[in-house]
Amino acid sequence: MKKYWRNIDEIETGPVQDKSVQDEASANNEIIGFLEGIPFKTSASRRDFLKVMSYSVASAAILSACSKPIQNAIPFLVQPADIVPGKASHYASTFFDGSEYCPIVVKVRDGRPIKLEGNELYLYTRGGTSARVQASILSLYDNARIKTPFRKNNPIQWKEADTEIISALKKIRHSGKDIVLLSSTIFSPSTLKAFDAFKSSFPKAKVIHYDVVSYSGMVNAYKETIGKAGIPYPLFDKADVVVSFGADFLGNWLFPTEFTLAYVSKRKVEKGKNKMSRHIQYESNLSLTGSNADERIRIKPSEELVALANLYNLIASKLGGSPIEVESASGELKLEKIAAELLGNKGKSIVISGSNDTDVQKIVIAINRLLDNYGNTFDMKRPILTKQGSDNELFDLVNDMKAGKIGALFFHHANPCYDYFDSTQFTQSLGEVDLKVSFSGFPNETLAYCDFVCPDHHFLESWNDFEPRKGIFSIAQPCIHPIFDTRHMQESLLIWAGNTSKWETFLKNNWEKEIFPKQKEIADFDSFWVASLRAGCIETSEDEKLSITNNLVVKSVDSALKSMELQIVQPLAVASGYHSNNPWLQELPDPISRVTWDNYASVSPKLAGEMNLKTGDVIRLNNKIEIPVVEQPGQADNVISIGLNYGRTMAGKVAEEVGVNMYPFVTSKAGHLHYFQTDISISKTGKQVVLAQTQTHHTMEGREIVRETTLNEYAAKPNAGNEAHEEFEKNHQTLYPEHKYDSFHWGLGVDLNSCIGCGACTIACQAENNVAVIGREQVIKRRIMHWIRVDRYYTGPPETPSVLFQPVMCQHCDNAPCENVCPVAATNHSNEGLNQMAYNRCVGTRYCINNCPYKVRRFNWLKFTDNPKFDYNQNSQLGKMVLNPDVVVRERGVVEKCTFCVQRIQEKKLTAKLENRTLKDGEVQPACVQSCPAEAMTFGDLNDQHSNIFKLFSNERNYHLLEELHTLPKVGYLTKVRNKEA
Amino acid sequence: MKFRVILPFFLLFYFFVNPVSAQKDSLVKATQKYSVHHSSKDIRIGERIFHGFVPSATKTINCASCHNVDHIDTLNWNPSAMDLALKYAKKDFPSFKTVIMNPTGMVMTQIHENLELTDEQIGQVKGYLDDLAKKGEEPTKPLQTNRILFILLILLFVVTLVDFIFTKKIKVKGVHGIVLLITFLFITNYIVTSAIALGRSPNYQPDQPIKFSHKVHAGQNQTSCVYCHFNAQQSKFAGIPPASVCLNCHVIVKEGARSGKFEIAKISKAIENNQSIKWIKVHNLPDHVYFNHSQHVVAGKIECSQCHGDVQTMDQVVQVKELSMGWCVNCHRETKVQFANKFYGKYEQLHNDLREGKIDKVTVEKIGGTDCMKCHY
Repeated sequence: MKKYWRNIDEIETGPVQDKSVQDEASANNEIIGFLEGIPFKTSASRRDFLKVMSYSVASAAILSACSKPIQNAIPFLVQPADIVPGKASHYASTFFDGSEYCPIVVKVRDGRPIKLEGNELYLYTRGGTSARVQASILSLYDNARIKTPFRKNNPIQWKEADTEIISALKKIRHSGKDIVLLSSTIFSPSTLKAFDAFKSSFPKAKVIHYDVVSYSGMVNAYKETIGKAGIPYPLFDKADVVVSFGADFLGNWLFPTEFTLAYVSKRKVEKGKNKMSRHIQYESNLSLTGSNADERIRIKPSEELVALANLYNLIASKLGGSPIEVESASGELKLEKIAAELLGNKGKSIVISGSNDTDVQKIVIAINRLLDNYGNTFDMKRPILTKQGSDNELFDLVNDMKAGKIGALFFHHANPCYDYFDSTQFTQSLGEVDLKVSFSGFPNETLAYCDFVCPDHHFLESWNDFEPRKGIFSIAQPCIHPIFDTRHMQESLLIWAGNTSKWETFLKNNWEKEIFPKQKEIADFDSFWVASLRAGCIETSEDEKLSITNNLVVKSVDSALKSMELQIVQPLAVASGYHSNNPWLQELPDPISRVTWDNYASVSPKLAGEMNLKTGDVIRLNNKIEIPVVEQPGQADNVISIGLNYGRTMAGKVAEEVGVNMYPFVTSKAGHLHYFQTDISISKTGKQVVLAQTQTHHTMEGREIVRETTLNEYAAKPNAGNEAHEEFEKNHQTLYPEHKYDSFHWGLGVDLNSCIGCGACTIACQAENNVAVIGREQVIKRRIMHWIRVDRYYTGPPETPSVLFQPVMCQHCDNAPCENVCPVAATNHSNEGLNQMAYNRCVGTRYCINNCPYKVRRFNWLKFTDNPKFDYNQNSQLGKMVLNPDVVVRERGVVEKCTFCVQRIQEKKLTAKLENRTLKDGEVQPACVQSCPAEAMTFGDLNDQHSNIFKLFSNERNYHLLEELHTLPKVGYLTKVRNKEA
Repeated sequence: MKFRVILPFFLLFYFFVNPVSAQKDSLVKATQKYSVHHSSKDIRIGERIFHGFVPSATKTINCASCHNVDHIDTLNWNPSAMDLALKYAKKDFPSFKTVIMNPTGMVMTQIHENLELTDEQIGQVKGYLDDLAKKGEEPTKPLQTNRILFILLILLFVVTLVDFIFTKKIKVKGVHGIVLLITFLFITNYIVTSAIALGRSPNYQPDQPIKFSHKVHAGQNQTSCVYCHFNAQQSKFAGIPPASVCLNCHVIVKEGARSGKFEIAKISKAIENNQSIKWIKVHNLPDHVYFNHSQHVVAGKIECSQCHGDVQTMDQVVQVKELSMGWCVNCHRETKVQFANKFYGKYEQLHNDLREGKIDKVTVEKIGGTDCMKCHY
């Protein structure tokens, strides 16, 4: 059996005792200290304990003895026909945070949105979401939001702001200076129209697109080769070979959710379908995408150009094309082999790069062109419109600002005083601009330099439309009345231009004029409008016909450097600055390093050995910043990787003082921003911090927990890698009477071959089940509350490990070890096979936690609601609006765990009863299943022999976690299949 | 030293067993400031007139006999003093006088017919009412006789115990034992019953902001429950009818036989002012209980009265049933499931048993209705 390991110490010395594990006694003392406000780690005597005990019991008694508060029941004056109190309505809308785009369906309960789901009608996600989309509901109820318009630091009325801004704009128009809207790429057709309306009043106005993480290299490379703006859309569901150079397309690159679905659809295997795509990833850090690759080859960021040029030459030598002058790449990069694979799959491969270097992108285009991929595995009819920013325009803007040519600067989804690579220069140049207005609805670093803040609505409060790709449209509609005194950014522009129409009317008119004629299915506009609103997204027949016309212009490339390099990456959870203040995402463990609440420098095991670094050691980088390191298997040697969007100084209490800002390390070279630096210096400081990592606690020592095989083995024998399952099944004996399930027997299946480890399920579960945020301190104490975690295991050498992900939630065992040990029967078995947990019966002995082999039960060590020490969403009236009213908020001292979303099961059962029909297969979807972008999870009734879950449980690849214990889990896993030689 | 040890426990018991009182809240918090000024003497005299302490020439006028000054548990159809105070606080003297001396409503005309008040007296009454509106309602504190009795019993218990062990003042044999036994039994009984009652409130009958009578609507007029509480068939909440539903009838019916126009006018007033009516919820379940009306009303075909009692006989709704877990579970053990519903087609075993006569009915318990996670999640 292969050796699986969790961290480097273990591979060398075997399982190690975690030093952060404290003994029970000190944990108890800490609780008492906490109650009395004594700083942690002081000792408390037995007397103190009794004192606290009697006080707390007495105070609890006093509270409970007080008479019950009067509860009001306040009806509507006039109840709208489609709103039923206590029943959720669903509205199609669109998520857009300035960089990521995803059509969604918003669940609204009693007037407040409480959960976001993917829009199943959108063919490219089919209801999938990412962790960011799931978590963004919380930002609606963020107390840090800007609640009124501001002039400098003083709140003012909209009327006042409008009058002053209009007069300032008129002055600027008179002076002939430019008016610039600095915005993340605007791909909303109606917003562009609104800006045109603004422009008709102020002719010198223009939009400059500013993407937080720049795609300028690719945008420009395609513009040059195609002769027109637009990025061809890679079709991962049509590619047999995917070669990615540092593009984290499952994590953060362009459309991660859409790409995940397409990518995974090519990797599902079943009986009669023994084909899988092959995925080769070249990268420095171990990214989410790289961890899913069949073959992963480590390269340094500066080596990318050389490697790609060599790959091009290899392909060009076979297919014709002028070679590039370049030094030959090292044999470790296996370029010959990859080139042969690509040549063998002409027209069925994808080569992409995440680099922002135009030259790199040009070579990528040339390779794809030689391989005849455009039109086959790249959609040329519906090019991507979400990224149009050009770095050069930004550099020019700063120069113009300095020269005093810019009269007014509007910021929309833009925070350059934090995330521009040279923010100091930007901030200084702002002094030369007459009028600075920010539309940001959230506090950010740029606001401090703005004359006016005209807060935009939250995306769940606003009307908007999007055209992410040519001919594909989606609508955002408000799902709640604006909570604060905010206003559509578009409406502000219209008002300043003297246009009196409301933004929603403007948008609707624009749809009538522009988008309605592009389709032929619906004849009258009103029906079309209602249908579009209901569906949320439409696809018109109008498309582009792009083709790569221009030839390669890269003649030669520089050699790679040997120095130490810094790579700056976009972290998975807090992807863009928009989410910095989101505690759910801050506490979502990074899928690979399992670190929460921080950014850190990933170093390779070799480098760590040379410098004698251990995870948690703090290093100095370029004598500028100090940052803790994480010893990261799979990291390229001599490269350290650090995540962006931390170290905020003005973003709300959650974001501030978390991590280090890495934007100042982004460099500009040859008109492009480079997300790496060569020749960096690092030194040990001798300081140490404890990183809030989640995975060192949950171990499943040395057993066959994740089972995997290769495609060839699977084709030969369907139960390859899963031979143990049959053995265990044969040996099943039991003393206990077996449960009989007359009606339903719920089961959940996870296809480990589809799961990419993104963590969307974790956040979906958190949103659905009111899971508490506990903060860095408590995570370090191994108290994370997530009901579903995604375990990550490494196999192979630490330099080039393979990675396995495994989502683990309560396994709902038929022979549940937790049930037998509860002294108060707070956890027991339902007649539908659910392992139930009655919070009100639980007295907190934690015997069940000790006896659970899967470690999926969570204990509420402290009160996480209405507690200023846990100042997250459950500590404010506004933040609590996100809570799901159908799920209880657990109190201190009780155990909680995954319920298979029993509230959803009950709801769907009731719907069926009310409609006098049977429950359909797939009708009940727990939050994790519904959110999964890879469709890796299946839920259903095991009693129904036609159900998908029944089929999954009868699959040869199916096995259960620790099945040798005969716990009879009702969660099944399908073995992972890799497309590589053993 | 010993006393210090006992004290926390004593306190503990004292607070722990404090009975839950169905507290009356202040219906309206009058925070508005009114401009009209009345001298404190006028206000005092006005109060006396209102309470009937100032005899007039022919007979005693006692406003308080119809217009309640304090909260009471039974329904009084007439507007309370506070209701009046709030309504007329912003109106001027002539309109106030007209309403009192020349009312238009049928009921009021009869009662107010022989009223003899001078303008000065009317002004004083208005002064009193305005002052009442300004001050707002004083919260009423129910007398905790039970609790006092309980403390006395404990004291008696302790004193007897002390006397038995140390002071030995009472010489008669057996008295200590009897007193200790009796007080102990009473104390224990009190603690147990109070503990069980904790969080439960049977017989809860709060005053509502509008004197709405279910007896009139559901009883005399035979209005179906779900005409107003239409959400009960679709949602977990039965729902309080929106004011617009009241207006379906009350757009025509403007005057009641007993309450006159005063109460019905509150509905249109609410719509005019765009201000929802803050009803008081009578049947409250703890937050950790999931209860769904549509499940019981539509799927289970349970009569409303099974849980809410004979509402059609109640002027003021009162909580009749315990609404405790034992009460719920008992019903689940006895009640027959609507097994003809196609949804239950899945329960093959039970259908077979039923056909073969092994069981005569399928209760909710048999389909898992007593599992924890049917109601708690």
